[in-house]
This record gives sequence, structure tokens and C-alpha cells, in this order.
Amino acid sequence: MIEVALIGNPNVGKSLLFNVLTGGKAHVGNWPGKTVEKKEGICRYKGEEMRIVDLPGTYSLTAHSIDELIARDYIVKEKPDVVIDIVDASNLERNLYLTLQLLELEANVVIALNKYDIAKSLGYKIDVDELSRILGVRVIPTVATTKEGIDKLLEAVLEAAKEKKRRRVSIGYGKAAEKLISRIERTILKDKDLSSRYPTRWLAIKILEGDEEILKEVEKSRFRNEILEVIR
Amino acid sequence: MEKRLSDLKPGEKGVISRVTGEKVTRRRLLDMGLTRGTEIVVVRKAPLGDPIEFLLKGYNLSLRKSECENIYVLLEGEEKE
Repeated sequence: MIEVALIGNPNVGKSLLFNVLTGGKAHVGNWPGKTVEKKEGICRYKGEEMRIVDLPGTYSLTAHSIDELIARDYIVKEKPDVVIDIVDASNLERNLYLTLQLLELEANVVIALNKYDIAKSLGYKIDVDELSRILGVRVIPTVATTKEGIDKLLEAVLEAAKEKKRRRVSIGYGKAAEKLISRIERTILKDKDLSSRYPTRWLAIKILEGDEEILKEVEKSRFRNEILEVIR
Repeated sequence: MEKRLSDLKPGEKGVISRVTGEKVTRRRLLDMGLTRGTEIVVVRKAPLGDPIEFLLKGYNLSLRKSECENIYVLLEGEEKE
């Protein structure tokens, strides 16, 4: 079974895409210990079974709201095989912020460039191949309302799930921040447990940001003083 | 001159120069694309001036007046490097 998570900004057509993929048959429950709805369904394509998990719609992946924390924890802790990032093609700039955060989290991302018809009618010309090259992930134009591009999307998900090695794209933050990031990263690597559970660069960035959940996690480490020294 | 986003009139356009306020609110505004250098236009205001609708990065966004008070803009033609 291939585990697939769906994520995207609010109002990108995520629920519709979920229904298209699962045929509308969803198992609805709550996220453990939270009163936030969790939807799961099964998608079969070319003899493969995929479990589709619908993550809450978010603009970002900080620790400030429960929705964002659920989405982030799922990706970090459950490590789904593929994360379908649904991007509103008519609103690329704002949507790609979440995409960059997913890449920073080292998730195995496939982008569904949804509402592609609307983007076209607005006169937007998106160079899909170039976008894919820059981000280092597969980008598939889709229109969830007419099911356009869904087969191609599933094809891309299967390909991505089978891939062992991925090209990693990282976003530079300028000399001063990079220096701190690599300093923190080096100390994180001393803690084998911590560095096996989280992508180390991401962890270092979150520490630098002062992310409360992550700081709590680091406090448990034997090397906490060394790791946190940089930000004190 | 730097102005608060909440003081702009419908039709006026500015470039965001800084976003202040409480950590959580500020972060949320930044997440929604209200970052420095972003062009923002006031579309309209509700009858009592709250909430206010804006156009930025190709989408419409409504904010409470209290949230816009944390956002500062430079009016068009005034932005500096």
C-alpha cells in the first residue's frame, strides 16, 4: 500500500480532488486527540492501492495553529510515500510558499497544478516543465472539476513512490543565516536519534526561527545545550 | 511617507514596507503573502470601515482593521530601495 497525503492552501480544490481520487468513499474520523476531522480513502490505479489522507488546508507549516501542526506532524512522523501538494494555478505566488516548506521538510512532493483552466482563462502562461525543473519535483496540470489530468497525476505519484533517490532543492537564506544554520546542523548531527527523526537542515532552520514545538523536542536531547547555544 | 495600511482609501495602492505586531499574528500575515515589497491595493471597505478588502499577488484578501494596523506601506511612487 502506498501512503499518499494531500495538502494545499485553503480553497485550492483539495476536497474535490480527494473525492475524485477516492471515488467519494471516505473514512471520516478525528486526528488522535484533536477535534479536527481526518478523512482517508483508498485509490486504485493500475493494480496499485494507495491510501489517501486528506491533511487540513494550510498556508504554511508553522507550529502556530493546530491545523498546521497536524499537517506537519503527519509529514514528519508518518513519512507518507508521496505528498500531493495541490497548488492553485491561478494563484501561484502565494501557493508556492507552502510548496517550499514541503521541500524544506524533504517530503516526496508531486505538485497538482489545479484550476489550470482558470489560470489559462486569466491569460496566465505557466511553463510547467521549467517549474518542475526549478523545484525538482513532478508538476502535473489538473482540473479537478472535469477530472482533467488525474490519470497523469496518479502516474506521477506511482513514479515518485518508486523512486529511491531524489534531487534535493534547498532555499538559501543568505550568508549570515546559512552560517548559523550549518553550525546548528553540525551539533544536531551529534544526536543520532534526533537527526534520524527529522531532516537536519529543516530542524536547524526551525530552531533559528524559535519554533516552540521543535524547541521542546530539542530540550529533550542530551546535546540540548550545544544545539541551543547558537541561538542563546 | 510610510502609512498604516488601515489608513489607505479604496483605490489607493501601496508597497508593504514592514509588518509588525504580535508574533503569531505577524507570522500569519506573512504566511498569507503580506511580505515586504508586495504591492497591495485597497479594493473596498465595509460600511463601518471594518473589514477591508485588498488585492495582492493576484488574489483578494479581507482583513480586520486591527490586523491592517500592523502593516505599514509606502504609497506608490515613494518606495525606496
